[in-house]
Amino acid sequence: MGRYIRRRLITAVPVFFGITLLVFLMVNLAPGSITDLMGEGSAAGADKAALEAALGLDRPLPLRYAGWLGDLLRGDLGESYFYDRPVSRLIAQRVGPSLLLTGSGVALAVAIALPLGVLAAWKPRSPWDRLASALSLISYGVPGFFLCLAGIDLFSVTLGWLPTHGMYTFGTFTSLTDLLRHLVLPAGVVCISSLGELVKQTRAACLEALGQDYIVTARAKGLTEGGVMVRHAFRGSLVPVLTTILSHIPHILGGSVVVEQIFGWPGMGSLLFSGISQRDYPVVMGVTVVIALAVLLTNLLLDLVYGLADPRVRYGKG
Amino acid sequence: MKKLIVLLLALALALPLAACGPSQDTTAVVRYGLSNAWDTLMPYNSPSGSNYTRIVCDKIYDRLAYVHADGSLDPRGAVSWESGDSGMSVVFHLDENAAFHDGTPVTAAHWADTIALMTNPDCPALGRSVFNVLAGTDESGAAIPGEALGAEAVDAYTLRLTFKTPTTPEDFLLDRNREFYVLPTHLLEDTDPAEVMDLALWEAPIGSGPCKFVEELPGSQLTLQANPDYQLGRPGFDLLVITVMDKSNLLPSLMAGDLDYYAFGGNLSAESAQTAREGGIEVLEGTVPNSFYELMLNNETIPSSALRRAIDLALDKQALCLHTAQGLGEPTATDLTPGTTYTSSLTWSRDVAEAEALLAEGGYDGRTYTLACTSNRSGLAALMQQQLGEAGINVTIATVDSATLFSGMAEGQYDMAIASHTPGALPLWFTESRFSAGNNIFHVSDLTPYATLISQIKAAADIGTRQALVDELQALLASERPFIPLWFGRTLHAQSPTVDNIDYPSSSFSNENVWDWTLRAD
Repeated sequence: MGRYIRRRLITAVPVFFGITLLVFLMVNLAPGSITDLMGEGSAAGADKAALEAALGLDRPLPLRYAGWLGDLLRGDLGESYFYDRPVSRLIAQRVGPSLLLTGSGVALAVAIALPLGVLAAWKPRSPWDRLASALSLISYGVPGFFLCLAGIDLFSVTLGWLPTHGMYTFGTFTSLTDLLRHLVLPAGVVCISSLGELVKQTRAACLEALGQDYIVTARAKGLTEGGVMVRHAFRGSLVPVLTTILSHIPHILGGSVVVEQIFGWPGMGSLLFSGISQRDYPVVMGVTVVIALAVLLTNLLLDLVYGLADPRVRYGKG
Repeated sequence: MKKLIVLLLALALALPLAACGPSQDTTAVVRYGLSNAWDTLMPYNSPSGSNYTRIVCDKIYDRLAYVHADGSLDPRGAVSWESGDSGMSVVFHLDENAAFHDGTPVTAAHWADTIALMTNPDCPALGRSVFNVLAGTDESGAAIPGEALGAEAVDAYTLRLTFKTPTTPEDFLLDRNREFYVLPTHLLEDTDPAEVMDLALWEAPIGSGPCKFVEELPGSQLTLQANPDYQLGRPGFDLLVITVMDKSNLLPSLMAGDLDYYAFGGNLSAESAQTAREGGIEVLEGTVPNSFYELMLNNETIPSSALRRAIDLALDKQALCLHTAQGLGEPTATDLTPGTTYTSSLTWSRDVAEAEALLAEGGYDGRTYTLACTSNRSGLAALMQQQLGEAGINVTIATVDSATLFSGMAEGQYDMAIASHTPGALPLWFTESRFSAGNNIFHVSDLTPYATLISQIKAAADIGTRQALVDELQALLASERPFIPLWFGRTLHAQSPTVDNIDYPSSSFSNENVWDWTLRAD
């Protein structure tokens, strides 16, 4: 297995740099730069040229990428054009809130989706199955921004139960209750958005497992229906379900752009949004590095977890 | 049944947490919403130079004056001012009670040293061009070696600013006040000018404004506390918590009681006004224009002034204003802000027949022009497309983001673009920066006639002479039509249900009278 991990890590290196090159080209070739967004100064022309020179935007693109790559290899993600702070510090400040928001939202979705998916597969056309279908429909069909605004309208404006924005009432941590109150709505939206795929995947995987010969054998041995479902059907469906769950890890780290932006949640998603809209290339590249690493490591983790979930999976030499 | 289950689930989730309620605290907090982030807390080093940065720095640092929406001025860092040297300088008498947050009194030397430091060519100040009106500076605002800089501390509390051309105090303050801040130069004495911008001081700044810095999460949240020693009075709150959030969440947050106010002046569209009123929020109609809409034209791809005038005549500005601002605005033929000292007799009218005649005169070949707009103005662009089509002008719409729009116009990629700006009270607020070699965004082939008139207007000492030159400039603009003025818009202000004495309209000058704000007792 050690050799397998080494081989996967080595092949991940060119993929990682390929991603950074692609994103670098995409953001830098997009029309406009931060200098086009300058305010209505009375000498915009002079300011613009000075700003371009100060930010190094007057250098050729290959030199800029080489410079960025050189800094990255020294562990330096550069300075934000917009915030004039080290990107690594900005990311460090934002990772925690994103982990909390998307992590709790996805965890809640997993907690609801797994039992609901199993129940839906176990008892097709039952109320559980219909609930699973309804939740999947809402999750797939209703856009995230609408869920955010509808949630704010119902729970904050109409009922006055939950806050509309931010992480804390007074700008800083005062109590766990205060943090949880602010977390409920955005995490609820993340949960609903993730729920559909998880429920559908769990239900489909369980249904497929229930048709397998080993389930018939288990039933023939006299196992209870619950035992068949939990010990055999669910276990047999773990690989696709785990794939779906773990594929949310980059999303958890990268944050949810729409939810964080609307709720003013200080996470990676809102940082990325501001980076793109302000043409803050170092920030976009920094967040890309984090997400790319998360995707690559998640893929590796998935391969390793498959082996634990399904004894038939072996790490061959191929 | 399904509805019941969903409702029960929602209740089960929300009730226990809601029952806990917000933590009880006796701190008087004003929760302030902002739809875009500030970039820096060092006011002379802002890459964006945006009003979002200015409105935040306005709280931490002090400025010379407070500018009202109608262009009138009130004392702030300076208690009074007068012209000197036959109009070439302005003398400011500073408030002797002003002090930095570390207790050091603010003196004229602080102001003079701030300007000397920021104009020092070795200091990498991005906002230096704000000083280019002062004597002894070049166009970029950098001090010219060997020349006397036009910023002098006459005595401890008297500051003299000397200009390149005659400048009245009102002209200077209306144009530049929002970008002139006093820095704590007593903390910078041993710092190399080249390294000033790298100081940790700007991450926890010490200013002399009405609020003191407490804590910042860049791009997301800023906590300030009231400065009890502010010379104009202590703000009527303990903490000011500024949170960046999506524009769509500002009004709902105000209605839900999670915000006390949002910048700028609780601006509200006419569509949202009814919602606000139904939610118990009072809505105030603005009295002075706070937006100016224009159709930018590419004079290189639309080279004939007859064609540009035809586009102007084909547009029904009243209908465009009605569509976008629900009539809260005045269609205009010029960029002169209504209600200010400078006026114009020019009027606008839609005349499709005349537009068609001008198209023939200008040799319009039926080509399709590209009209760029941001997504929130796609409806306005479609209406323009329809109106221009009625006169026989073909237009296709490109919906892009702001950066793409402005860079596309600068690079000549688009033929037209819709833009809006915050208007000023001075006659050159719009034209001065757009008819220069460094920022020729309309791609005018010969800037000389504009540049000549602009410099003559700047140099004109009395209002009568200046008005005559302004008329001349406006006549030139009307005949050449390098851009099309559309309308000046007034805004609606969603009033705070919890904070009194907010001067809503004046926030359009990027200043807010937080020292007058008081939280309601209930």
